[in-house]
Amino acid sequence: MIKILLLLSFVLFSQTLFANEDMKKWLRPALIPAPDNNKLTPQRVQLGKLLFFDKRLSQDNSISCATCHHPKRGWTDLIPVQKAVGFGGQTGPRNSPTILNTAYQNRQFWDGRVKTLEAQALGPIEADVEMNMPLDDLIPKLNAIKGYVKLFEGAYPDENLTKETLAKAIASFERTVVSGDAPFDIYIKGDTNAISQDAKDGFELFKTKAFCMECHDGFNFTDGSFHNVGLNEGELKGKELGRYNVKNRAAWYGVMKTPTLRDVTKSYPYFHDGSVKTLEESTELCAKGGRHTTNVKNKSTSMKDRKLTKKEIDKIVVFMKTLTSPDMKLEIPTKFPQ
Amino acid sequence: MKKIILSLLTMSALFATEHVVDQKNKTFLPGTMKVKVGDTITFKNSDPFSHNAYTDDEDNEFDVGMQATGTETHMKVKKEGEFHIECAIHPNMLIKVKAEK
Repeated sequence: MIKILLLLSFVLFSQTLFANEDMKKWLRPALIPAPDNNKLTPQRVQLGKLLFFDKRLSQDNSISCATCHHPKRGWTDLIPVQKAVGFGGQTGPRNSPTILNTAYQNRQFWDGRVKTLEAQALGPIEADVEMNMPLDDLIPKLNAIKGYVKLFEGAYPDENLTKETLAKAIASFERTVVSGDAPFDIYIKGDTNAISQDAKDGFELFKTKAFCMECHDGFNFTDGSFHNVGLNEGELKGKELGRYNVKNRAAWYGVMKTPTLRDVTKSYPYFHDGSVKTLEESTELCAKGGRHTTNVKNKSTSMKDRKLTKKEIDKIVVFMKTLTSPDMKLEIPTKFPQ
Repeated sequence: MKKIILSLLTMSALFATEHVVDQKNKTFLPGTMKVKVGDTITFKNSDPFSHNAYTDDEDNEFDVGMQATGTETHMKVKKEGEFHIECAIHPNMLIKVKAEK
């Protein structure tokens, strides 16, 4: 009887919570989406995991996908751009983005230049500053590893080991890299004690006065939108042009994709150039309308000085920390197919 | 002859329709449209932040640029076919357009 009453009160509370406003949008989805031609199967995910951690996918067998997107480093590398090392000690122009929850995004990379994880997966392998491995060399190299050939046959019967199935397998593993139940999720599902009063205040500020929700919207705390947040002044000659590099569309000048805030405490430094070390600094930067508030070409209209006090900014940070979930249970491969 | 052409042009202008699309809550409303060549699509922005509308369809290519809150922009449907209109800022925003002669 007590159990029934408890259940009823939980249901009633949840309904009240959801009735007050559109709270359902903050709930993590139960299912991971996948395209019809690459549905998730255990064989595909396991194969993709091996490939993701296998350094033989780089030209000199020194770099794997996990080198820059490591589960113990927030699925990024935690290294400032100037110090991140790719193939032959080269440094790339952008901060390694986390691959967490990319399954839910319909544009990949900071500049959103491709739509699917399948289209994304091969880019860093070929990029000369990353793994520098031409696919025309990689596919024969992998086909010479009997263990991989067998695993591809199991995961993709009748499709062979090709560029396409390589991309599909890596994408399948990446798709499973999703955030777990964070204190915020427990709160949103009805446990009012799961987060502190400061965090609740921070969440309210996040949605209202601070307007964070204008871009960091929905359960993944990004609406996938593209913005120039005012990290650089004036013309961006010689600097990062962002999505404008994909096509010279005026609205894309200097813009980058809004990152997820899920597990954001684990994926520092922040912004596409990794120029901000802490969550406190990045929140302050956004709250005042960017690093540069004037003379920014195509600056997002969402970036305004929200006139927040230090205490209000602190509360938003406390709230964002409640989006941190336990690390995903994952056995990192140490042995690879031969 | 000139009179006939002028009359035809006037008639086609008379029959051209204006279709209004609202950009609200990061959604194009409506999300699907049936239009005719010569019709105009008017984009309103009812959100408190900027939007955009563009298509890469070769026959109907247009880009309204940054569209501020409360403003209107327009595109004229030039050729028949099926194409998508998207917001360059919010890529989840999409309209499926079917344009007929």
